[in-house]
Amino acid sequence: MFRQVLSQQWVSLRVAVLVFVVISFAVPLLTVVYGGGLADTDLPRVAMWLDGSERIGVLLPGIALMLGVFFGLGVWQPDQVGKHVYALALPVSRWRYSLLRFTAGALLLAAPVAALGVGSFVATWAVDLPSGVHAYPAQLTFRFALASLVCFAMMFALASATRRVALWLFGALGGMLLADLLLAAFGSSFDVTPTVIMALVMFPGPLSILTGRWALFDV
Amino acid sequence: MTNAIETWDLRYRAGKSFELRDVALKVREGSIYGFLGPNGAGKTTTIKLLMGMLRADGGQIAVLGRKVPSDMPRVLAQVGYVPERPHLYPFLTVEQAINFHAAFFAGFDRPYADELLGGFNLPGEHRLSALSKGEMGKLHMLLVLAQRPRLLILDEPTDGLDPVVRRDVLSALLDFCSQGSTTVFISSHLVHELERICDWVGVLDRGRLLAELPMHAFKSGIKRIRVENPPSLIGDTPFVLVARETTTMDEIWVVRGWQAPMVQWFEGTGARVKEIVDLDLEEGFVELLRAARVPAA
Repeated sequence: MFRQVLSQQWVSLRVAVLVFVVISFAVPLLTVVYGGGLADTDLPRVAMWLDGSERIGVLLPGIALMLGVFFGLGVWQPDQVGKHVYALALPVSRWRYSLLRFTAGALLLAAPVAALGVGSFVATWAVDLPSGVHAYPAQLTFRFALASLVCFAMMFALASATRRVALWLFGALGGMLLADLLLAAFGSSFDVTPTVIMALVMFPGPLSILTGRWALFDV
Repeated sequence: MTNAIETWDLRYRAGKSFELRDVALKVREGSIYGFLGPNGAGKTTTIKLLMGMLRADGGQIAVLGRKVPSDMPRVLAQVGYVPERPHLYPFLTVEQAINFHAAFFAGFDRPYADELLGGFNLPGEHRLSALSKGEMGKLHMLLVLAQRPRLLILDEPTDGLDPVVRRDVLSALLDFCSQGSTTVFISSHLVHELERICDWVGVLDRGRLLAELPMHAFKSGIKRIRVENPPSLIGDTPFVLVARETTTMDEIWVVRGWQAPMVQWFEGTGARVKEIVDLDLEEGFVELLRAARVPAA
């Protein structure tokens, strides 16, 4: 059963998987675009190189977010097109079917994550690092995997929600914006929407994993 | 005899304009039950309730002896369902769709599926998005028949199909039914189609079950009778008066459950039967709907 769900999701998402595999493999390699032979280089040039590779590292949380969003929506899309009629006629409970879809989607995420890992190790191998500078390919890959999985899980949950839940969410969002307008009209300095966003992206918020430094090379 | 489907006082409201009211279905095991009704009568809604896809506002449902929706996965393991519109994954090939479906049904008969694949002339390597409406209808039928289900629930399975494909699909269905004791619950507004294959019929209109009876009783007992000097008040009748319409000279009565000796009942009231006309299923169906919408005087 799981093999068939996985196979069906692969057929549905294979183009996206391949695109993300290529991107995830390429981004770590871009960090060495500024040069590889750094062992005997002077400190300012090393600092510049580190700064450049860090700027490329900023792409990674964005890719993790896109990966999670795309896959989270993508695994439900075929069922949503058919209004879930086919899935609901299958003899499995709803939670089990959701679990099958989630596990298969999470397994497909492994391909871009693995590509990033391979790209990171290749980049590390290609660079002749100066003393004091270290490479963190395994840590970066782990962090990318975790960030993708968190984003995937959140989008998966949202996409699997009923229309009523979606309306509730949009209603809550609209309510927050309305509350901000009213608070501003009464001269309050408290903002609801930025507070909620900060709660999501600052530790221990679930999206805090996307923030901070995403460097393959660091001191 | 046990019932494959049974509902008690089933109620469901969809918005302000439509409501299923006190629907009490009894579908005998082994029967081919035609669920007739005009468009918008509530046939698909009833089927979705039977399939556990909608939650009833009231009443109870039992399918194959199990409660719906609480025991759904066990029920669905023995039910083959063809929805009104195909909802299979369009990016899969026919072979992949069969493999996907087979993985969920323990009793899926792969050799039979292959036999039907050949019989229906379906191209196994083609994507579903490239199939015609007729081919899609055949594929749906293939999938549910190869499940070897105890109950088939078919929601207008031949709607929009050309006559050749319709014949292929119905032939496969009848072949399958002849092999075992599968119960078939088939909804349609195509009366003649059901007339040929069903042994029971239920008529739904505006969310109400108007009649449920054996097909032979529905077909043979419906008459249009021209009555001279009819009684103005009617007490107990030996037949069911479906509709009564006054013409310039006489009255036209549409009755169900008619038998020849019942002419004497009219004579007993001082009336005279001038003409008795057999109605076919479609005419009977139309008269039944007319009578339900404008109650007999």
